[in-house]
Amino acid sequence: MIVFNVWSLLQWYLRPIIKWLLRKTTKLCELQRICYGDKAGAARTCNVEKSLMLSRTRDVQEVVSFLDAVVLEKRFTPNNFYSILDPSVSIIIRVKKINPKLHGSFIVSFRRCLEQIWSYRSLVNEIEELRKTQFDSNNVEHEEKLVRLWSLLVPQEPLESRITKQWQYIGFQGDDPKTDFRGMGLLGLENLLFFASAYPQASSHVLSHSQHPKYGYTFAIVGINLTSMAYYLLKDGSAKTFMFNDKSCLPSATLFHKFYCYLFYEFDKMWIESKPQNIMEFSMIFKKFENAIRIELADPASVFRINIEVDTV
Amino acid sequence: MGLLNILKKLRSNPDKELRLLLLGLDNAGKTTLLKQLASEDVNHVTPTAGFNIKSVLSNGFKLNVWDIGGQRKIRPYWRNYFENTDILIYVVDCSDHQRLEETSLELTELLQDEKLRGVPLLVYANKQDLATALPASEIAQHLGLHLIRDRTWQIQACVATDGTGVKEGMEWVCKNIPVKK
Repeated sequence: MIVFNVWSLLQWYLRPIIKWLLRKTTKLCELQRICYGDKAGAARTCNVEKSLMLSRTRDVQEVVSFLDAVVLEKRFTPNNFYSILDPSVSIIIRVKKINPKLHGSFIVSFRRCLEQIWSYRSLVNEIEELRKTQFDSNNVEHEEKLVRLWSLLVPQEPLESRITKQWQYIGFQGDDPKTDFRGMGLLGLENLLFFASAYPQASSHVLSHSQHPKYGYTFAIVGINLTSMAYYLLKDGSAKTFMFNDKSCLPSATLFHKFYCYLFYEFDKMWIESKPQNIMEFSMIFKKFENAIRIELADPASVFRINIEVDTV
Repeated sequence: MGLLNILKKLRSNPDKELRLLLLGLDNAGKTTLLKQLASEDVNHVTPTAGFNIKSVLSNGFKLNVWDIGGQRKIRPYWRNYFENTDILIYVVDCSDHQRLEETSLELTELLQDEKLRGVPLLVYANKQDLATALPASEIAQHLGLHLIRDRTWQIQACVATDGTGVKEGMEWVCKNIPVKK
């Protein structure tokens, strides 16, 4: 504890000195050094975020709180980027005395970092809202989603009624899934639905594993527990590696669902490979899986490929 | 590390470590209760696949609480956790009228098991905050608690999500610790 305090105190005083020295020797500010030096993706974006959060320049702090406020107002969407990000980037360029003509590529990559950082923050709120929405059997939309999940996973067999033992076939606990979503709310259902609709082959492959006579598990219940894992990884920032290393899209609900699908597919693999005696080994293997994922996410160079389309024979 | 371990062992009284078994149907509120006992956030609970275990300090006792999933498929595994149980805690969702009989049957079966003979029973009549919840006295009748002769038992009304009644139940637990052989 004391060692930690001394270190953070040292950092507090040393950081500006080191920054000043580097600035004088490289003629670049910290943000430029990051954008030019670090590999695009999680490495760069996380360092830019850290630099912005640690900044003691008032203008930079104001940009940060402005962008946070935009996120709270739910206005941080791609069609607003122009009007939101241009002024923010101009302020940073002015404060840091960066010549925009010389450093055009900096502006492009810095802007991309801002898009990623605040899209992620926006996503955290969006996912939290979904999680807090309880599954409600009186809501037609919720009900429709639940029934759609069934028809996507088990297209060959229609549901006999809304309340039926059939639900246990896809791994719900009883006759009515409504009580199974618990603290994950609608998010748990949306995750499952995305897995079934975006990766029909992979999800039916995983579902068939879950019905293995020896290594079977409860598909939907395990899925809801994986929602919880994905949710915590998003909230504590671990999922940034996954999201920022995605070259084609910014953090969004879709990307979160993809992250979930990746987790589900990988968990299923680990479960089958572990050859568990029965479902009572779930918590142990689940913990082991989470640790493995956290180690992967801790390395900003990790690239997560969802190889699920090609996997099914 | 040797010395530290010995010191720790000397300080902690092994008689004061208890094994609590938390059972009940799915959606009764076992995991929420477990989280409540451990003073953890109860808003992010997920259905239990397998089991959860937590150690909680209460009234000078170290309680090792085993929360086993309540889904029908898992119930056959309950027996694997009976050994050396000091207190059995049975959780009932008092608003689930349809499954009162089912939960009653499961409890009866538990109480007949040799490995749980004489183990004190605490029933948590959970979800008392819901309008449709039956009062603890009615639950006791449904479960036939007054017919139990071979052990001490108690029923405690509670709301696991906000902690109402949970502490009272645990106080009863700590007062009714069986003498170890």
